[in-house]
Amino acid sequence: MSSLNNILSIARKEGRTVLSEQESKIILKNESISITEPELATSAKEAIEISEKIGFPVVLKISSNDITHKSDVGGVRVGLKSKDEINENFTGMLKQVKEQAPEAVIQGITVQPMAPPNGVEVIVGVTRDEQFGPVVMFGLGGIAVEILQDVSFRIAPLTDLDAEEMIKEIKGFRMLTGYRAYEPVDLESLKLLILKVSKLAMETEDLMEMDLNPVFAYANGVIAADARIILIDN
Amino acid sequence: MDKERKANLDRAFNPKVIAVIGDKKITDYMWLKSVKDAKAKVYSVQIDENDIPGIEAMGIDNRKSLADIPEQVDYAIIAVPRPVLPFILADCIKENVGAAAAFTSGFAETGEADGIELQERIIKMTSEANFNLVGPNCMCLYHGKVGIRNTADQWIGEGGNIGFMSNSGTHATNFVIRARSNGLYPAKSISMGNSISIDQGDWLEYLGDDPDIEVIGMYIEGTRDGRKFFETLRKVAQKKPVVIWKGGQTKEGARAAASHTGHLASDMALWDAMMRQTGAIRVDTQDELMDTMKALVMMKPFTGENMGIIAQTGGQSVLVSDAFGSEGLKVPALTEKTHERLRPIVTVVGGSYKNPLDVSGSLTSVERATEMLNGLHDDPNTDIIVMESSIGFIQRRLEKQGQGLDTLIAGLKAFQESSKKPFAVVATWNQNEGELADFRQKVADAGIAVFPTFQAGAGAIRKVRDYYRIQEKLKG
Repeated sequence: MSSLNNILSIARKEGRTVLSEQESKIILKNESISITEPELATSAKEAIEISEKIGFPVVLKISSNDITHKSDVGGVRVGLKSKDEINENFTGMLKQVKEQAPEAVIQGITVQPMAPPNGVEVIVGVTRDEQFGPVVMFGLGGIAVEILQDVSFRIAPLTDLDAEEMIKEIKGFRMLTGYRAYEPVDLESLKLLILKVSKLAMETEDLMEMDLNPVFAYANGVIAADARIILIDN
Repeated sequence: MDKERKANLDRAFNPKVIAVIGDKKITDYMWLKSVKDAKAKVYSVQIDENDIPGIEAMGIDNRKSLADIPEQVDYAIIAVPRPVLPFILADCIKENVGAAAAFTSGFAETGEADGIELQERIIKMTSEANFNLVGPNCMCLYHGKVGIRNTADQWIGEGGNIGFMSNSGTHATNFVIRARSNGLYPAKSISMGNSISIDQGDWLEYLGDDPDIEVIGMYIEGTRDGRKFFETLRKVAQKKPVVIWKGGQTKEGARAAASHTGHLASDMALWDAMMRQTGAIRVDTQDELMDTMKALVMMKPFTGENMGIIAQTGGQSVLVSDAFGSEGLKVPALTEKTHERLRPIVTVVGGSYKNPLDVSGSLTSVERATEMLNGLHDDPNTDIIVMESSIGFIQRRLEKQGQGLDTLIAGLKAFQESSKKPFAVVATWNQNEGELADFRQKVADAGIAVFPTFQAGAGAIRKVRDYYRIQEKLKG
């Protein structure tokens, strides 16, 4: 819990309510939730060194406390497989982000491994309802959540049965039990992830919102590829 | 709710002395009339000389202030103009009244500054004094056993086993009246109004602890404290069934709820989630509430899904099967043994001895009906027995044997008593509506669950079946 409290107090001191992806993922990792771990690079050279250490392919993401929606400003590049691609995309991204968000202070660019292919994309989120407090949401990623709003909710804290049922309740549940190229996903790990998120939501008093989006679910295990935590605005 | 407040609330529900403050001629002394048959001494407090003669003509002792009443008051009903309410409340607190219920409205629900301010003042008074205020903006309390009522139109008497709590006075009142038309006996009905001193969680806990109450129903627009309500519901719903009818499900409805009782609305998806998590039963209309209550109170508990159905005619046999089928229930084939048993008594010419039975010309007497019901009952493939009753049709058959609908109902009641499986009647609107309503009332009075449409019956049976299944899961 100490890393959680450290991160929260730093954010508070800096007057921020939105935690960075790195900060959010440290908190999740601390709860033994699997994540793709971002490392900050301030130059293309550093980015290449990190990539060689963690192995290709990698993802580059802009790191700035002033940018919440990274992909909207060209701040996400995925599937980079070589030094050259990193060189090109590092400078390309900086240029594009500076054009589209000229006011933003940029800390650098993070490098993280690509999540393995063939995962089913899901999302797990938390919002704080004025009446009920922390509420956990689950759904399939992409179109399913954005257009069909095929999501389920439970009020935290969740029981085992709550987590199990909220997975089964979505209309797209069949996507998780094996469909065409996709193997049946590891529902037990998915359930544990939801329970960990519920626990974290209950233990973090000033949590306003938490998004693990996307989470990739595989035949063995689940990995959160992006995460964002927002604190209550006092 | 602490012990002291609970004990005081018990006093108000079982009063020795009731005071009605501010009742008027112009409203036809509605509050005095609502409690005049109670097993309690009733006083009136009224200072208006125009209103007093009518009160005294009812034989009620009128006093000029609460302090003038020589005995300790257990339950006070307050119907005074809103600026006066704080003064009356101060008297009630001083005189150690068990609980006061305020019909007076015009507080936060108005959305206007003076109403909100007045409500804040009342919240401060009641919380500092740890005092039980019901409402304000409510239709007070109903307790059938002792004869205190939301309105004088309500039934009073022993034996009630249902508790109801409502943000709306209308629904608290109507629930008690309509329940009797459905063979149900309410014990307590609480009009919570703005629920500023006793909130939804407190009321739910109170009804949960009440030994008279076997089933809880509620009409709710919102909560003062959602988390407390959720945690209470989690506990109470494991002790007894809780049926929730949520008003203000849409943006439009939520806006109306805000100006009705001043409650904030949460997304319906969250209410739905809460009901799933706690094993509470969701209904969306008063009709569904009645039908679900019936299935809970009158039918033996069940977790199965296999219907054994008697239909009067072929056309109805199709529709009733469709209705149960659309709720995910099954109408399975019977065993060969049952077919052999039913074949001699259900003609295949213009009928069918297969599930659903189409008994058409074969149901010639109550004895025959009982044989058919027993045939379905004894079959291992059925879990729930339903009889579709097209009464005009049955009546003509029975008359030939000198039997009437009363004999039929007595036969159905005897079957229900001997049956190990849950039983219900569906008497759908298909012929003379007045006669159907009369028939249903008689079936309901016999203690048999009777549903007014196939869909209503199928829906209620499915909801209650799900409830028993969820309880099994929750209890592991």
